[in-house]
Amino acid sequence: MSAPSLSAPVADEVASAILAHGALRVPARDIAALRQQPLPHPTARLSTSFLKHADEQTVVGLVAVGQALERLDRDIASVRGWGVLGAPRFLGRFALAEALRRFADEGAWGISPHLIPHRSLHALSGTVSQALGIQGPNFGVGGGPDAGTEVFTVAAALLADGCLPGLWIIMTGFEPELTPQFSTSTSDAPTEPVCSAVALALVPPPPHHSGRTLRIGGLCRRSSPTPAGQAVFRWESLIDVLTTQPLLPATRWQLSNGGWVAVELAERRVGIAHPAVESAEGSMRNCA
Amino acid sequence: MNKRTAVWITGVGAATPLGNSYAAIAENLLAGRSGVRLLCGFDTSQHPSRIGGEVSAIPCPDDCQPEALGSFSRLQRLTLWCCATALQDAGWWPKRSDTRLGLVLGTGAEWLVHWEADAFAGGQRIAQPLEDNEPLVRQACRLLQLSGPAVSVSAACASGNYALAQARRWLELGWVDVCLAGACDMVMTPLSLAGFGNLRALSRRNDDPQGASRPFDRDRDGFVMGEGGAMFVLERADGARRRGARCYGEVAGNGASSDAYHMVIPSPHPEPAIAAMRQALEDARLNPQQVDYVNAHATSTPVGDVAEARVLEAVFGEALPSVPVSSTKSMTGHLLTAAAAVEAIACLVALERQALPPTINLHHPDPEIRLCHVANQAREHPVRVTVSNSFGFGGSNTCVVLKAA
Repeated sequence: MSAPSLSAPVADEVASAILAHGALRVPARDIAALRQQPLPHPTARLSTSFLKHADEQTVVGLVAVGQALERLDRDIASVRGWGVLGAPRFLGRFALAEALRRFADEGAWGISPHLIPHRSLHALSGTVSQALGIQGPNFGVGGGPDAGTEVFTVAAALLADGCLPGLWIIMTGFEPELTPQFSTSTSDAPTEPVCSAVALALVPPPPHHSGRTLRIGGLCRRSSPTPAGQAVFRWESLIDVLTTQPLLPATRWQLSNGGWVAVELAERRVGIAHPAVESAEGSMRNCA
Repeated sequence: MNKRTAVWITGVGAATPLGNSYAAIAENLLAGRSGVRLLCGFDTSQHPSRIGGEVSAIPCPDDCQPEALGSFSRLQRLTLWCCATALQDAGWWPKRSDTRLGLVLGTGAEWLVHWEADAFAGGQRIAQPLEDNEPLVRQACRLLQLSGPAVSVSAACASGNYALAQARRWLELGWVDVCLAGACDMVMTPLSLAGFGNLRALSRRNDDPQGASRPFDRDRDGFVMGEGGAMFVLERADGARRRGARCYGEVAGNGASSDAYHMVIPSPHPEPAIAAMRQALEDARLNPQQVDYVNAHATSTPVGDVAEARVLEAVFGEALPSVPVSSTKSMTGHLLTAAAAVEAIACLVALERQALPPTINLHHPDPEIRLCHVANQAREHPVRVTVSNSFGFGGSNTCVVLKAA
């Protein structure tokens, strides 16, 4: 059997406008307080118990979405047709440990019916979809250490399709991991876990777009070791880029599957020459 | 982007309560056999529901060393089996390293399953992040020597349909030459059985396991959990045709939407699910009247089955009485994250065998559900176009159109 001829990729690079973003880091002890005011947006209609059973990462992720919504300065109904991708990292570790303890003490009856729905990989995207009334596709991506690479890969395919008016990408994770040993009641605990979250509101780049652009490319290449000197994508560094002032002209990372992702200022791509973008890859700032 | 690139399914690998090969599953589906039993993998004496569709021992794929899999979890073994046998079935196994071969794996609770299994075995991985398992997707790529992009996707019961859609898109974009897509789930565990049982979502017909999963029946009382997986090899039709590959069916259309209503309860508003079905049919450039078989999501819950019937009424309208519908969950149980993928097999069986798998245990059809049931026995029927619905927790509605090439 012969191998098929390799067809040239139809779209090796996908660009989208970052209409808005949200990014935050929250110590584990401070997450409980966020549950009761999940989405302080004037057009949100969520009860204070909406996030009662949600995982900690879902809570922080939704807050990041709320930040982006405020920057969007739009009615929530305007994003109803969008899609949502949620990329948590090791979701449910702390809650499952508690569930195991209750199972040992109380048997099957001690297991909350909310455990699986709110700790599965789709829980973050499903909750955001529900909170924003989004009726486009929603699903979880990744779930482990490669969540960032995976969610950009999936997002690029959806954005290249051109069928969605917009797409939310939400990435969350703890550093260090929120393990069962951590107790919010202990004031002298070792390094407190911090949950980071970033939310991007992406749309097809409009004409004369100014602001940030997200580009994803190189996904047609075979997986290969990261070139020397090229930073591997970590979404915590994406938070740094999004929150840095003044805005950086361009930042690019290597994805673990051979592709790459870049955040750029749009005006640099629309006919305005800039050495950092126009020259070879090495001159672009590689985020460490 | 060339959206008209036809994408074929050329290989199938699976492990389910109805067997560990496409042929075995096809035979059992058309024979109307149930794979549901009293659970024997762990102590269920305290669980309100003690039945399920379990997978028998997962074989070791050809060309793999059994001793190398000795330390693998059941989910790891399942994933490897399904992927490897799909590639072997498609004829890509010897050449898998020579082509851009991608992987889209539907999996919903990989880490929860690993941590729980480890804890019951006396381990502490849940508390030791540095000891966490290698991610399934990464492990599969390494062991199978895949060099294309690889991702995990999760939309609960709808995961498999999202995986097929994503793989199809990658092929259309030219990012891969061949792509594995499907879903695997071994979430039949003490905690998940307890959780779903306490949600009062499971059938408690413990005295009649094979009769418990009864979608559309008046006396249904909840779903029956199952486990297993199915992976498919997808490739562009032109290349598959050139190499003389077998075509199980064409992935002709995909549709997806969200209820945005509740994490668990189906929405009383059918519009998003209706939209997903219509989107899939439009994507396939087909009219509802051209559909020869619908594999329903129908899980045997009092609320969900009726909700889906309303969706089918809206989509098919006057054609509904002539469109055969069945739910193969009556035989397999509900394989959760793997449900959509395994039910795609049922559609491929219908296309290949020109026969419709039944809804078994349908002795007293619910009068609120007026569908053209394939009740209790398979029947011969010309089939060129099939539709498979999967509606997942988190409010995901998906539909895939699989048709004869």
